[in-house]
Amino acid sequence: MLSKDALREIEAARAEEDSPRHALLTALRVTQGERRQVGPEEITYIADLLGLSPALVQGVARFYDQISATPTGQHVLSLCRGISCYLCGADEVAAAVGELLEIRPGETTADGRFTLRLVECVGDCDRAPAAMVDDRFVGPVAAVAIDNLTKM
Amino acid sequence: MAQYLTRNALDPAQRELQTALRAGAYLGFKQALSLPPQEVVAEIDASGLRGRGGAGFPTGRKWSFIHAKEGQTVYLLCNADESEPGTFKDHYLIERDPHLVLEGVAIGAYAIGAHRAYIYMRGEYASLAETLAAALREAMAADIIGPNCMNSGYDLRITIQLGAGAYICGEETGLIQSLEGRRAYPRVRPPFPAVHGFLQEPTVVNNVETLACAARIMAEGAEAFKDHGTGRSAGTKLISVSGAVERPGVYEVELGYPLMEFLQGEAGGIRGGRGLKAIIPGGTSVPVLTAEEAAPLTIDYESMQSAGTMLGSGGMIVFGDDTSMPQALLRIAEFYAHESCGECTPCREGTGWMAWVLRRLLAGEGRPGDLGLLLRVGDNIEGRTICGLGDASVQPVRSFIRKFRPEFEALLPEPVQAVAWQSHGHGPRTGRFGPPAEEATRSEAVDGPPTAAL
Ligand SMILES: Cc1cc2nc3c(=O)[nH]c(=O)nc-3n(C[C@H](O)[C@H](O)[C@H](O)COP(=O)(O)O)c2cc1C
Ligand code: SF4
Ligand code: FES
Repeated sequence: MLSKDALREIEAARAEEDSPRHALLTALRVTQGERRQVGPEEITYIADLLGLSPALVQGVARFYDQISATPTGQHVLSLCRGISCYLCGADEVAAAVGELLEIRPGETTADGRFTLRLVECVGDCDRAPAAMVDDRFVGPVAAVAIDNLTKM
Repeated sequence: MAQYLTRNALDPAQRELQTALRAGAYLGFKQALSLPPQEVVAEIDASGLRGRGGAGFPTGRKWSFIHAKEGQTVYLLCNADESEPGTFKDHYLIERDPHLVLEGVAIGAYAIGAHRAYIYMRGEYASLAETLAAALREAMAADIIGPNCMNSGYDLRITIQLGAGAYICGEETGLIQSLEGRRAYPRVRPPFPAVHGFLQEPTVVNNVETLACAARIMAEGAEAFKDHGTGRSAGTKLISVSGAVERPGVYEVELGYPLMEFLQGEAGGIRGGRGLKAIIPGGTSVPVLTAEEAAPLTIDYESMQSAGTMLGSGGMIVFGDDTSMPQALLRIAEFYAHESCGECTPCREGTGWMAWVLRRLLAGEGRPGDLGLLLRVGDNIEGRTICGLGDASVQPVRSFIRKFRPEFEALLPEPVQAVAWQSHGHGPRTGRFGPPAEEATRSEAVDGPPTAAL
């Protein structure tokens, strides 16, 4: 299910401590990165890999906002709705971007390229309204710039 | 603007080891390694350094709590989760001067007798983790960090761990739980992490900026640190300022620096030449200040405390006079409702309720007792939860309502009698003005926020 690199990364986390459970956070991140979701199949797979119960893996997976139960698009566009960004017009930008991509937050574009998310403060408030494309900070955003980003 | 911690941060070349070394990187670590660990703790204690993560606990004292028994593994955990809204100073430090951060981690670990350290970073900082990892690889290749650090006989292994999106992982026991591969449900204290921390071993959790300060202190001495700041607030502080200002960003200031001078100077004044309405000085978890209250204050622990608020993380959020305070409060309340981990009932339910009541007020569906209800829900959270998030969620609600009450009152429906009188003979008024009083009381008790609000 996972690439050699991904398995190596999980193995490295596992080697850090005696407790196999410690590697779970890394396993979830890596799996989300490659499979774009941690759904039932992925949960069973990770549970087998680390020798943990699937229920436990599921419980931890569902705790985190960046681990998703259903597949995301190729890219995740996260718009910050935190207080500082709100004070800099984040609501207007979010509305405009939603219109542009013709989706609502939480949805994925018809071509499967972008999932739009509204997220809490991402720690980039001086570039408000802040946004991220996957792991990249791209703020401050105007709807126009987002248009360019999504065309890349 | 002070230049103690951020002296080298403006030069992008600082990310490279050779440049950083020329600017004095790792001299503090070298100095620390030449001393017994207790003396490093004593030096930090003498500097008066207080934790920069929010609570302001004296760092030297925290380190002195570690008494490892034979066979125990001591851990230093560097808290780089930085998720408090309005806070982005650790982002700045890690991005601009990663070697200073690593040096601080190494010194902290040495001082408490740890040979293992983790840097726990929020998942959204994955790109910064790469910067830090590159710096760590360089420091390891140069034998500065690793087995036998700088030929001292001291071994240290530092691991960078990314989170996956949850504010509560910044709370120290939430961080520990997350690192162990559990849901980040904070732990009841005591026992404190110093006794039973990560994997039940003795553990210290310190903020990025705290450890960076420790690196400078070991290089230049406690006295040089105390030359900055005020008596009880020694040193400098990174302030991340955002919101309605002309020049949002991270600035290093002497503790004791006048708040208004900072706002007009470093931060460039209020955006668009507008007036100042309010300031949250230390992240959303601390009480808001009105412009009037803020005017005489200085940026330090005591001054903020005297005004009933806190310096917190140094995440300063500025509100211009065109801001709707109820709208702004809703955004903050929604944050806490979303980020409550759900472990304790008062916080899990209360944060959802506060957001829900604010939402209905703003939708024009407020009920006569709603402001009292909001304050009461807050009272029922405060002091009744496992971690500080519950208490934190109450601070904005209480302070916004108390200090900007007319704006909230304007959202309330007309008094019930007036509604009843007006609607006499026309049937009950519906929708916007809310249900009649009896119904309001009953439904307050039974009708909770929909699951979506949680
Ligand atoms: C809800 C909550 C969130 C927190 N988030 C952070 C954080 O993101 N970064 C941080 O350094 N401290 C955070 N703290 C404070 C930590 O619990 C802890 O006090 C701090 O990391 C200790 O480091 P220091 O003594 O160096 O300040 C948070 C506390 C609470 C209650
Ligand atoms: S106070 Fe809130 S965030 Fe903290 S442990 Fe309780 S439910 Fe979780
Ligand atoms: S509030 Fe948007 S990045 Fe902080």
